[in-house]
Amino acid sequence: MIKLPNPNIGKVSLLVAILTWLALLFVDITRIFGIINQMESGVSPDVSFVLEIIFFITVYLFYNYTISKSEDNDFLNLIWRGASTGLVASGVSILIGFFYSLLGESKLASDLLLKNFFYHVNFALITLFLISCSLLWKHLILYQKSKNVVKQWQLFEILLLVSMFFIFFNKNSLDYSFLFGLVILTVFSISLSINLKWIPYLTFKEKWKSILFLAIIILSTAYLFGQILRYSESDLILVNLTDNLFLIGLFSFVFFYSLFSFLVTLFNLPTSSVFEQKLIEAINFQRLSQSIKPGQNENQVLDILIDSSMSAAYADAGWLEIKDPEGQSFFLHERFVEKDSTHQLYRHINALKPFSNFDWEKTGNENIIYQGRIEHNPYKSALVVPLVINQKTLGRLYLVKEVKDGFNKEMVNIISTFVGQACISVENYRLLNEAIKNERYKEELKIAQRVQRSLLPKTLHHDKSFEIAAFSVAADEVGGDYYETYPLGPRKFAIIIGDVSGKGTSAAFNMSQMKGIFHSLVQLNPSPAEFIKKANSALGLCLEKNHFITTSFYIIDTDQKTITYSRAGHCPTLYYKSAQNECDYLSIDGMGLGILRSGLFDNYVHEKTFVFQQGDVMLLYTDGIIEAKNESGTEFGYERLKTVLKSYCHLSPKQIQEKIISDVYQFIGKTAIMDDDYSMVVIKFK
Amino acid sequence: MLEIKNIKENNHDILLLEGEVDASNSVELDSSIQQLSEEGATVILVDASGLEYISSAGLGVFMSYLEDFQERNVKMIIFGLKEKVHQVFVILGLDKLMNIKKSKEEALEEVK
Repeated sequence: MIKLPNPNIGKVSLLVAILTWLALLFVDITRIFGIINQMESGVSPDVSFVLEIIFFITVYLFYNYTISKSEDNDFLNLIWRGASTGLVASGVSILIGFFYSLLGESKLASDLLLKNFFYHVNFALITLFLISCSLLWKHLILYQKSKNVVKQWQLFEILLLVSMFFIFFNKNSLDYSFLFGLVILTVFSISLSINLKWIPYLTFKEKWKSILFLAIIILSTAYLFGQILRYSESDLILVNLTDNLFLIGLFSFVFFYSLFSFLVTLFNLPTSSVFEQKLIEAINFQRLSQSIKPGQNENQVLDILIDSSMSAAYADAGWLEIKDPEGQSFFLHERFVEKDSTHQLYRHINALKPFSNFDWEKTGNENIIYQGRIEHNPYKSALVVPLVINQKTLGRLYLVKEVKDGFNKEMVNIISTFVGQACISVENYRLLNEAIKNERYKEELKIAQRVQRSLLPKTLHHDKSFEIAAFSVAADEVGGDYYETYPLGPRKFAIIIGDVSGKGTSAAFNMSQMKGIFHSLVQLNPSPAEFIKKANSALGLCLEKNHFITTSFYIIDTDQKTITYSRAGHCPTLYYKSAQNECDYLSIDGMGLGILRSGLFDNYVHEKTFVFQQGDVMLLYTDGIIEAKNESGTEFGYERLKTVLKSYCHLSPKQIQEKIISDVYQFIGKTAIMDDDYSMVVIKFK
Repeated sequence: MLEIKNIKENNHDILLLEGEVDASNSVELDSSIQQLSEEGATVILVDASGLEYISSAGLGVFMSYLEDFQERNVKMIIFGLKEKVHQVFVILGLDKLMNIKKSKEEALEEVK
């Protein structure tokens, strides 16, 4: 299979165009030789016309290709391309004219061969200029494409194509059919020439430049057209290539579009700045609305705000007044004012009506814009717009001008839009920051949770006389419940359960203090009453005034089969006596740790001892279990706990614990929120 | 939900509590008592007949004023406690330290 080379349309069409032109030249020169030597060359003019059409089409393809490929397609560049081609074409034409004027009346001046050669050069350049211009215009016309315009242009192209072949019917005579064709093309050109939507996008400077370039194009077109007319009157030209409907039609198109563009650009000059301003405002608005990127801060948004607002209002000076979280005002982004005069101006403005009506604390400030006259040389009018985020006034934007009543409705509208957008951006930025911070707090809480879980014992000390199981769950990430065991001897164990007042983080800190105190005091092998007294005096020094800890402390002696205990404000322990098959709360007086921080506390400490028997169950728990509420607001309560324990007393401690917890959960229902910490320790004697 | 009303009756300041005192609103209770204390009240009656529940944080508020009021001879009397709520005071041992009365009449008798 032969691989077809991928032809480059630009290069191929250029090559074909050059070859066609050379062929055209050759055919015509052959014809001239025929005339000079009085020989019939036998080449009919139709050959020239066919070559001419091929030349037109290839040049058209070449320009169509290069313009669409070109990267640098801004308007000014396009027009400059047309103008430069026009300059070259006219320049060469002028040089030829100059050359002939030098020749004067010499023989060479009327040389048929030379004259025809130059005619072909001129023809080629005019064709290049007209076709390149037309295609550039196409680009401009189709700048804002609509279906209608595209259709119109396609029809125009078809008309141009037809006009190339017109030469075969018309044989270069200026008859009515030629004029008719020209009128149609001209009318079409004019109707296309109203597509000038690119002009407003030029800046003021670009407009001036494009006016210059368009003038060059118009002049070139006029000059070259005149040149063509001169050729068609001359009898030295054998085959007239330029009196072609296609070329004349293009002349009319290029001329009218250039003329229209020229005039419209000229008349657009005075209003050019307004359009530019609107464009800048749109861009500024976009900059303001883009959320602040990481690493930037509110300051950048405010910076854009003052710049955009000042340019929108043509303000002579401006600044921002911002209130920091402490309510202190400070100035930011002062433009064209000195620090001292800002303060003077600030005081001057705020002493005047209507500016003095402003109230920082009022809600709805975002809808109020203050503007009025001031008398502070050189400034004569001022505009103050509050910056409001989330109903709170964050600051104010100040703009001043050196003319009276310098702020019109449009300016005020656009500035209030700018301010609104800037406020949204700042708010988004703050919300984002807060979200990040919250995420970090959550992480910290998770760490706290892990640490706190590790404060609860992993193993519970016991011997073969009893089994023990424990459970704890916190309502928040961290809680204030505490339990622990400690072996005081081979057959003697200390057991503690505690509940710190409040919940959450503060409770968790106090719980860890309690653990520290337990581990220090238990080393001294204290009696329960001693433990409670010492713990109270220790905690009295470190607990906050309104915090307390309730606790129950037990010593189980499996030799003596006794339990000695003391209670410090903690929920009374539930005890199941297997001999009587009855459950009861161990009643003993006692006061929470930290409630009374003087020696008087000791008067309220009591201690009791009793004997345990096989099958007895002791249930230590925290108030969360008793106070667990169901949907109708009923508490789980002491009575229910009693009944529940009694029904499960035959099970192992682990099973009892699981059953009670599942009963509590069932009681509060699935929808209820757990609002306290639940803990329990279950001991069963063997 | 907690609602605190401050009523002046025959020269006595009565703090009317309604609803539940928990960790989230114990600050309100604290500031109400603080305010009365700063105003120089020598007798503060707390009407707790509408109190459904008090958490440890709420108890902590009462507790924190015990010493201060004793030193300054300010009498704080709580009355009308529901049985369930009263039980909480008893378990913690606060009934031994605080002046708790059954009814408003008893409380007023106390401050005569």
